[in-house]
Amino acid sequence: MIALEDLSTSTNAFSSSAFESDGSLTLVLVGDASLTKIESMQAVIDGLHALATQMGTKAVVVDLTKLDFMNSSCFKVFVSWINQVQDAEPAKQYRICLRSNPKLLWQRRSLHALQCFAAELISIETI
Amino acid sequence: MMADGEVAYFELQFKPNAELVSTVRRFVSEFYERVCPDADAISRLALATHELLENAVKYSFDGETKLRVEVVRGTLPAMVAVRAWNQALPGHLETLKASLEALANARDPFEHYQACMRSSAKKTEGSGLGLARIAAEAEMVVKLEPTLDSSNRICILTHTGTWEGQAR
Repeated sequence: MIALEDLSTSTNAFSSSAFESDGSLTLVLVGDASLTKIESMQAVIDGLHALATQMGTKAVVVDLTKLDFMNSSCFKVFVSWINQVQDAEPAKQYRICLRSNPKLLWQRRSLHALQCFAAELISIETI
Repeated sequence: MMADGEVAYFELQFKPNAELVSTVRRFVSEFYERVCPDADAISRLALATHELLENAVKYSFDGETKLRVEVVRGTLPAMVAVRAWNQALPGHLETLKASLEALANARDPFEHYQACMRSSAKKTEGSGLGLARIAAEAEMVVKLEPTLDSSNRICILTHTGTWEGQAR
């Protein structure tokens, strides 16, 4: 398992970290992704997509199990990212697994909406 | 001691920095927990309050925002109304009206939300998702409410379907 420092960020009440393991990337988001965190979220997701494309990975995991909330602006960052993967040529596409915490009830509806947006790419893992 | 069926409410008026929105969401969640017995409803109400407030903060001309939350205590399903007032940035009112009209005309809030997500994906500024998210994920009605005073403030109201007809 290799930590990916470029995808690490820590601001007031929001942080991210990432690692690579067996050719698969995992991004962990923690805290509160709201209005003042949009730039951090955008930078992290852009970096993740660039790395996934460069590595030719077939799977990316986003661990949201400690993400207390995500506002619509940060949610939009996810929507645009997923749309970029959809628009990529098939060989460069990868699947996205959203790891969810059933105790954080907002995740059930928000992640369902993302899955409906790109059913061919998105899976949800509840732990 | 309040009885079930009574309206519990609070109002907040503040000139925010955007960080305060999350603080208010947590406070509001705690308020809902005290008056509403349904955990899923509390989560939906917190989401709706956050999105409504963030919208008001983002598009406020003078930075001042007022929030009023009313809950009929102890009801299942929850009966809640949330209002947010601000003095909107020039030009924003027309955008807001167009968004709310599209939402009101939508056959299904979730289908409308998915359509908003598709158009949002290519946008470089703003998400345009907040109000559609309230309707689809929080399952609440969203509309512009006429203000009764002579100020230039606007009021967005969001309420649960059960709220219709409840006295203000």
